[in-house]
Amino acid sequence: MKFGKILKQQIEETLPAWRDNFLNYKELKKLVRLISSAPLLSAESMEYGKAEAQFVYLLNNEIDKFNVFFMEQEEDFIIRHKELQQRIKRVIDTWGPDGTKPSETKYKDGMAKIRKDIVDFHGEMVLLENYSNVNYTGLAKILKKYDKRTGGLLRLPYIQKVLQQPFFTTDLLSKLVKECENTIDEVFPVDEEDRLKQRREAITVAGKGIFRNTVAALLTMQEIRRGSSTYGHFSLPPLNLPDSDLIHSFQLSSPIPIL
Amino acid sequence: MEARPALSIQRSGARPLSNLGVSGGLSSSLPALTTPLEETYQKLSDTQQVSTDRELMTRPLVHATCVPTNSGVVGHIFSSSSGFSSDLHFSSASPHEKHSRNAPFISQSPTDATALPLPQSSNSALPQSTISSHFNKESSGSWCTDPGFLDFPVNTPIQSSQVESNSCSGIMISEDFSKRNDWQEWADQLITDDEALASNWNELLVDNNVTDLEPKMAYQVAKPCTTMPAQKPQAQQQLPSPSVESRSVVNPSSSANNAHAKPRMRWTPELHEAFVEAVNQLGGSERATPKGVLKLMKVEGLTIYHVKSHLQKYRTARYRPESSEGSSEKKLTPIEDLSSLDLKTGMGITEALRLQMEVQKRLHEQLEIQRNLQLRIEEQGRYLQMMFEKQKSGLDKLKVSSSNHLENPPAPPSDATKESPAKSDLEASQMDHVNSGTETVNANSMLESSSQEIVAKQKAPETGDLEKAETCVSESSSQPSKRPRIEE
Repeated sequence: MKFGKILKQQIEETLPAWRDNFLNYKELKKLVRLISSAPLLSAESMEYGKAEAQFVYLLNNEIDKFNVFFMEQEEDFIIRHKELQQRIKRVIDTWGPDGTKPSETKYKDGMAKIRKDIVDFHGEMVLLENYSNVNYTGLAKILKKYDKRTGGLLRLPYIQKVLQQPFFTTDLLSKLVKECENTIDEVFPVDEEDRLKQRREAITVAGKGIFRNTVAALLTMQEIRRGSSTYGHFSLPPLNLPDSDLIHSFQLSSPIPIL
Repeated sequence: MEARPALSIQRSGARPLSNLGVSGGLSSSLPALTTPLEETYQKLSDTQQVSTDRELMTRPLVHATCVPTNSGVVGHIFSSSSGFSSDLHFSSASPHEKHSRNAPFISQSPTDATALPLPQSSNSALPQSTISSHFNKESSGSWCTDPGFLDFPVNTPIQSSQVESNSCSGIMISEDFSKRNDWQEWADQLITDDEALASNWNELLVDNNVTDLEPKMAYQVAKPCTTMPAQKPQAQQQLPSPSVESRSVVNPSSSANNAHAKPRMRWTPELHEAFVEAVNQLGGSERATPKGVLKLMKVEGLTIYHVKSHLQKYRTARYRPESSEGSSEKKLTPIEDLSSLDLKTGMGITEALRLQMEVQKRLHEQLEIQRNLQLRIEEQGRYLQMMFEKQKSGLDKLKVSSSNHLENPPAPPSDATKESPAKSDLEASQMDHVNSGTETVNANSMLESSSQEIVAKQKAPETGDLEKAETCVSESSSQPSKRPRIEE
């Protein structure tokens, strides 16, 4: 499947609300086609230079777009992360440090809600990581296409620049995700017995919400990395997911917007 | 070479970044600036700051390119504007895009217009394009850092558009500071290029026949200020520090210059902690004021706008969970209804969540791996490029002395794929040498298998021998592939 289509599909399935913030692959591709079809014979001609400048300009715009969006989301996540931590503390405290069980149901409810929230929160963060990655992939692809079609040498230096952009330096986000995972493991330890029993029911429920979005993201990632005709040494190897079958079995309904 | 001058113009543009705070102001007042700029140019040519001249020179270029309707512009540089107009035209299919693009187009024109004369950049050595592409970001960001911003003589003719200039300085400020990573290197490179530029600027200026800019440009300039791209706070331009480390530090001058715009700041958990503490000290999120928080936090470079927006987010984040905590059913979407049903039936929800976590963890893991791979690949690519160029320079020397070392190139390649086997050979061999610091064994083996895969696919001679790879590389360099610009 062509990347442009994959990209579109992924956006539609996972984050339609973020559509405008994704890479405008189609436009860039059009431009590349335009450039390559024009009779730009001499690489040193003004025409060529202009075209390249134009292309770079568009790319820069896209990158700015990513950066803004990404940093905004990141900021939100930082705040919410802290809030969740505090919420957890509060709810745990209602259990009664002094040994009393004044509000067991309240505690349980609170915990259940937190659990759902934190898992969704984790999912949202991972989806942002995915956003970053998909856009990067798109950029890499369009640059490769540009170089191929126009005989340019834009890709390598430009991609170096991209690598340092805020939207691609996801270390902080990664850290938050890991912390989230740790918190979940601590606060909600998994009971192995019940797990197997409930798996079936869970699958139908799981087809909704953030979960649905992440499943779609994973599947799309797999799709993108399927073997292609233009495999080069700059291409990523195909993706081998151990639970691929399970993931495919999830029934994916329409995507849930992230508010 | 014709290419050279224009390029050097670009490079020099980056140079005065620290000197030239005014350029932000200049860029904004597009309609009014045509003639004043020419005047000021004459003034400036006398100044010591040669680089400043060039900086200003980009202004006329900017104007030309900003005009979508500008067609038959005199002068080769400005023919690029028609290129831009065609760009705008073909993108008219998506009207909303066009609109949104127009605004950043103009506002960014000061920065990105410098990309225009950069055509020839690709002719000269490879780094040029890096510079030019970097330049777009670099220049604008650094312009604002100039403390002598207000003292600059050029400012005087532009009083009328002061408001716009303010807003645009915001734009400038908000440009990515992260680009400053390479600032140091470029500054050095730029200094060496001073000579060739002066004459060229004259040419360009003479050719400058900027048509009347539409008045609406001014409006559009003001608009994007608030949506301007994020900036990455970094230590001031002295040190090219990696983006990750200096995140919490915002460029100090941004607060000085920025009157109206809201530059984006990259928050960190530590910074947020300090924020929360300050807020708590002031009596909670409702009672705390941005000014108070700002004072308490005492973080250099943090502006009240940063604090304001952050406080707003903070309040929203607190309000929502608190309101829904009491009555758990309050904000349920249909999905949540379903899950509350499961809650009654028993463990279903737990298992669902557990599954969800599994998938999410998996996705996260894969994303990490993918990202590392991508980084690794580019690193290799860079290394290969370096090797390649070393080879080439060595080869050129050999050519001069004797041509005996060059093997006869095999069948001439139609495209650049010939280089790929060479590269993948090189890569494969390098994999052995370079792979000490791999983070994940997974990624490592994947990369190796991928490179081996690729080699097998392309039926290149499968050898990890570095020498042979070098020969391949040198072969490719002597072959005209689809990369004419390697040959100089």
